[in-house]
Amino acid sequence: MIRRRLVSRPVSLRARLGVAVVGLALVSAACGGGSSSDGGDTPAGGSGGLKGKTINFVGYGNDNPWGAYFNGVFTKKLEAEGAKVVDLTTMDPGTAVQNVNQAISNKPDLIVTALLDTSSMVVPIKKAKQAGVPVLVFDGRPDPQVDDDVMQVISDNEAVGKAAADNLIEGLKAQGKESAKIIAITGTKSSLVTQDRLKAFDQQMATAPQYEVIETQDGNWDPTLSGKIATQLFAKYGCDGIQGAYGMADYQALPIIASAKQAGCEVAGDTGLVVTSSNCFKAGIEAIQAGDLYGTATEDPGTIANQTADYVIRYFDGAKPPKKEVVKEERVTAANVAEFAAQCSNA
Amino acid sequence: MTTLTEPPVATAAAEHGSREPGRRKPTASDLVVVLAVLAVVALGLTTDRFVTVANAKAIVTSASLVGIAALGLTLVMIGGSAVSLAISQTVAAVGMIFLSAQSLGLVPALVLAIVGGAAITALQGAVVGYAAANPVVLTIAASFAITGIATGVSGGSSVSASGRGYDHLNATPGGLALSVYVLIALVVVVEWVLRRTRFGRTLYLVGENRPAARAAGMAVGRTTAVAWAIAGALFAVTAAFTAAFNTSANVNLGGTLTFDAIAAVLAGGTPISGGRGSAVRTLAGAVLIAAVSDILLLRGYSTGVQVMVKGLIVLFVVVIVHVRTKGRHA
Repeated sequence: MIRRRLVSRPVSLRARLGVAVVGLALVSAACGGGSSSDGGDTPAGGSGGLKGKTINFVGYGNDNPWGAYFNGVFTKKLEAEGAKVVDLTTMDPGTAVQNVNQAISNKPDLIVTALLDTSSMVVPIKKAKQAGVPVLVFDGRPDPQVDDDVMQVISDNEAVGKAAADNLIEGLKAQGKESAKIIAITGTKSSLVTQDRLKAFDQQMATAPQYEVIETQDGNWDPTLSGKIATQLFAKYGCDGIQGAYGMADYQALPIIASAKQAGCEVAGDTGLVVTSSNCFKAGIEAIQAGDLYGTATEDPGTIANQTADYVIRYFDGAKPPKKEVVKEERVTAANVAEFAAQCSNA
Repeated sequence: MTTLTEPPVATAAAEHGSREPGRRKPTASDLVVVLAVLAVVALGLTTDRFVTVANAKAIVTSASLVGIAALGLTLVMIGGSAVSLAISQTVAAVGMIFLSAQSLGLVPALVLAIVGGAAITALQGAVVGYAAANPVVLTIAASFAITGIATGVSGGSSVSASGRGYDHLNATPGGLALSVYVLIALVVVVEWVLRRTRFGRTLYLVGENRPAARAAGMAVGRTTAVAWAIAGALFAVTAAFTAAFNTSANVNLGGTLTFDAIAAVLAGGTPISGGRGSAVRTLAGAVLIAAVSDILLLRGYSTGVQVMVKGLIVLFVVVIVHVRTKGRHA
């Protein structure tokens, strides 16, 4: 019935125009895809500086506190140098893929992108390379398949994972505990950021075998879910069965502390639960200062934004920065929290 | 407008709330429900450390925040407005208001949060009730608008508390989270409102058959708007507890609460088509989902499996409710 109606109905002028536009778009896309770069290496940025350059920015959305601060610092710095930054930020992985595709068709001088979903970004990155549009990835590392196809300014997630383990070992030793059971509530397990942090965390914890990680649960970067999981784990093992906890971000560690307190467990102090995180936010810094959170690590948006913007400036100045730069991350505890309080209080 | 006379209201209440047990012959779907409940109980009893006081506390604590929001959604569903898909966003925005108002003190911050939640949600309810807007489409649009405004006002940053009053909401009188007591109290209040007030009875009738209710001269628009306003106030209570628990709030505070609340209401057996349901059923649904998630966690299953099983429970209950409804109408 529907088919017959479609066949018998005369095609309107609007529909014809629509078909023509779609056809033109497909033809132009096909032509764009065919004009691959000559080398395979990332194209040089020239030496004319940033003035007049167009950067398509597919960063994290402003609805994410980390992303909001990053975006503000990064955009302001590049615009001050005369660049035009096209905002294609989003927190939706599917939209991010579409936005990179859109950016490729815009033919900018550079695409700067975060990888919300590492796997789904493989094809867009390959497309950008074919189209001769250079791509700079920041924060999380790309899929190994396209590691050579992009420039990178990435967080040292292994360092922050190790820092979390160091915090726990140090805190438990300071309490004089000769053995301890530890729970870990992570970010989204399928992401490379989480995998890298967890791998380094486990490796470092293995150096102190008296402290055993008994549960690792996927908290999906969700504070509410992390709190629920912690509540259930404290019920499962009891206060005596958990001596240390790792929440991968400050906003996951704080619900762990709240869950422990609600379960009647002592937190921090001479004998209480030792809780650590591995990337800092304002609330985490306040919790360290209050003595509830043992420690965290930096991975703050301001530092990465500044380094990413500097990279872009050097790239367009013809300074030929290294293809991959790793942002130095720092361990934060009560001993040095004052030093990092301002840096960590922007999100 | 309250032109409804007492006899039909009383009849409706009897129809929806006071059905006497034993009057209906057990059906195959009843047997399936009993078997499913027995299976969950058996699974729990055979799970190490499930039957402990600490675990029972963990289950009800986990159920409490979702449960309070789900109570609000129960009113929306009973009134025949399907669902609100803006719960997470409302909770996030109100949580931010609550924490940023802490300098005023706990009570003023709570009042501000509840008024804010009620106003945001009542506005949507008014459009649904008076203009017959599609609630699903409307609340999707509202969720974007709320997130956009909250992001714009906060600049995307997390809101930290401007005082420590919120910490009272993390109290554990008698060893149980305060949110559990609040949930139980609110279940009693909402159930009473639904069963014993003219508004409650009208809400059932509006949900059962909106055109007929309108034709009968009932205040359909006002009843819907009030139901949504109460729902918004309940979302705000969840927001205050969630923000206090996390000590900071941003636009992602609500997480998966929208779908968790929908799952709790549906798992309790309240049909999405409206006209039936109760606060007690929603409480049961929230506790059931929390208990099953707890069993899976104790048995070592991942978060992914827990989410999948939550979906299967909802699907199972929706099918059972559909079969039973069809059976009743046949």
